Amino acid sequence: MIGLVDANNFYVSCERVFDPSLEGRPVGVMSNNDGCIIARSAEMKAMEIPMGMPAFKLEALRRRGEIHLKSSNYELYGDMSARLCQLLRDACPAVSPYSIDEMFIYLEEFTDRQCQIIGEWLRRRIRRHLGLPVCVGLAPTHTLAKLANHFAKTMPDFQGVCLLQADDTTTAALLRQTPVGSVWGIGRRLAERLAVSKIHTAWDLREADVQQLRKRFSVVLARTALELRGTPCLHMNDLDQPRHRIMTSRSFGQPTGVKGQVHDALRRHAQRSAEKLRQQQSMARAVMIFLNTNRHRPDQRQYFPHAMIALPAPSDDTRAILDAVRQGLEQIYRPGYRFIKAGVMLLDLVDAEQHQLSLLNPPSRHRYPRLMATLDDINRRMGQGTISFGMTNADAAWQLRCAHRSHRYTTRWDELMQAGTHPGAIRECALRKQPLP
Amino acid sequence: MSLPSSPVAPALPLTFQPLPYSSLQGRAGFSGFPSPAQDYEPRTLDLNTRLIKNPTQTFYLSAAGDSMEGWGIFEGDLLVVDRSIKPRLGHILVAMLDDEVLIKRYALYRGTPHLCSAHPHYPPLPLEDTDCQLWGVVRAVIHEYLR
Repeated sequence: MIGLVDANNFYVSCERVFDPSLEGRPVGVMSNNDGCIIARSAEMKAMEIPMGMPAFKLEALRRRGEIHLKSSNYELYGDMSARLCQLLRDACPAVSPYSIDEMFIYLEEFTDRQCQIIGEWLRRRIRRHLGLPVCVGLAPTHTLAKLANHFAKTMPDFQGVCLLQADDTTTAALLRQTPVGSVWGIGRRLAERLAVSKIHTAWDLREADVQQLRKRFSVVLARTALELRGTPCLHMNDLDQPRHRIMTSRSFGQPTGVKGQVHDALRRHAQRSAEKLRQQQSMARAVMIFLNTNRHRPDQRQYFPHAMIALPAPSDDTRAILDAVRQGLEQIYRPGYRFIKAGVMLLDLVDAEQHQLSLLNPPSRHRYPRLMATLDDINRRMGQGTISFGMTNADAAWQLRCAHRSHRYTTRWDELMQAGTHPGAIRECALRKQPLP
Repeated sequence: MSLPSSPVAPALPLTFQPLPYSSLQGRAGFSGFPSPAQDYEPRTLDLNTRLIKNPTQTFYLSAAGDSMEGWGIFEGDLLVVDRSIKPRLGHILVAMLDDEVLIKRYALYRGTPHLCSAHPHYPPLPLEDTDCQLWGVVRAVIHEYLR
């Protein structure tokens, strides 16, 4: 069985771990520079405040105390994500992070019943040990596991854990009521084309003729149909779903602990990721890098660091991404480890067209779209990496507007969470520190 | 290769950072005699391994208020909080009560479990019929005399 562990409203949940007064209240997290809403609590969703809503339109509600808005605190989210991943690694034979808040776990040697129990146990454990609510979807394939997770989240009867067997009446019933657009990797346009061929639900796609699908649509869609039947045919590398996140990672030919070599690899991945980003006409708001040592070598020191860096504004500029990668590496690199893998992930993507340039933050590199287009064109025609970036701007200003950022509780000594020895103690302590009027 | 000199703290759990230690693997002089220290693991005592048993589940908090001084917790002290420990009577807990984060001792008072402080002004809070939630168990308190 393959499991997908997905944190509910991850950014909001991270905020709530360290600020219990946000529990049960409508909370939203804003993009870089407090532009628009990128994460919402269930209460905020219930108020029908949509994703991407410009934050200034919510200012009145915030002032009246009806909603809480937080600036994005990527350091905190990145750290909690690393902890979530580590907790799963401690418990499962194999884990593969898919995005900042979704991790696949592989439970091959267990029965369905055991998988269900492991899923429930993991859910309780993550809630208690990290304070994060998660849902778990379990199924024989990645595509079904993703759907199972969707059911676990949206149908209270599952109590957060949903196991789908490939051939089962429950699975069939659920697939029949699932629009095909909810299946992993099927976007709105493809769903419209499928509707013309009378494929409306996930079940219709599962029952469609695979040869026909391959001929009329694509190999990928044929594989998705097979996956819905319970035949695994997607691997982690195929899982890059456009418009969600972009990841480039590779193992080193030889394990290395040399910072320069690790940096080179990350730079290559960053440039490739930026190219993919521009290809699908998106911009990223944040960059995550990670390094892995070889976990099958218990004799060697182990280290699986992540670093998460927010970009000053959504960007598809290779130079901005390279700057972020360099910053991240400075934060996590430690000598004395033999790394076997490095990766770059671009997160919180937005459509480049829809992204309106903020008047407050005019892009300082205004000629870059042509530069980037020329770069991509040359690399496409003359081969990958014909032109690449050498030194990047070492002292870029990372001045983010983040008026409502919570403390970086887990990464800064001077921003720790406070606990009072009695009710009101935290308030009294703050008053004592204030100078007398 | 040296530790990064950047003032920015690392974006990984502080608990994951190994303490730097000097390598003792060098040989003693050029005479060709191996150093007697060579056969020993080059390792120095590491406070992280002593105070942090579960790095993934360990968080640092800072204390505010004076009502736990009787049990050695002063304002500004660093609390090493492990969320993976099952609370038992006698443990010092971080708990959430009415939107507040409190440090209290989990103990019996007149035969029932209460959250107790070490100060006469603050009577024990009964745990029955409250929606008090456990946040974590305090494994250690670090009181720095020099900072």
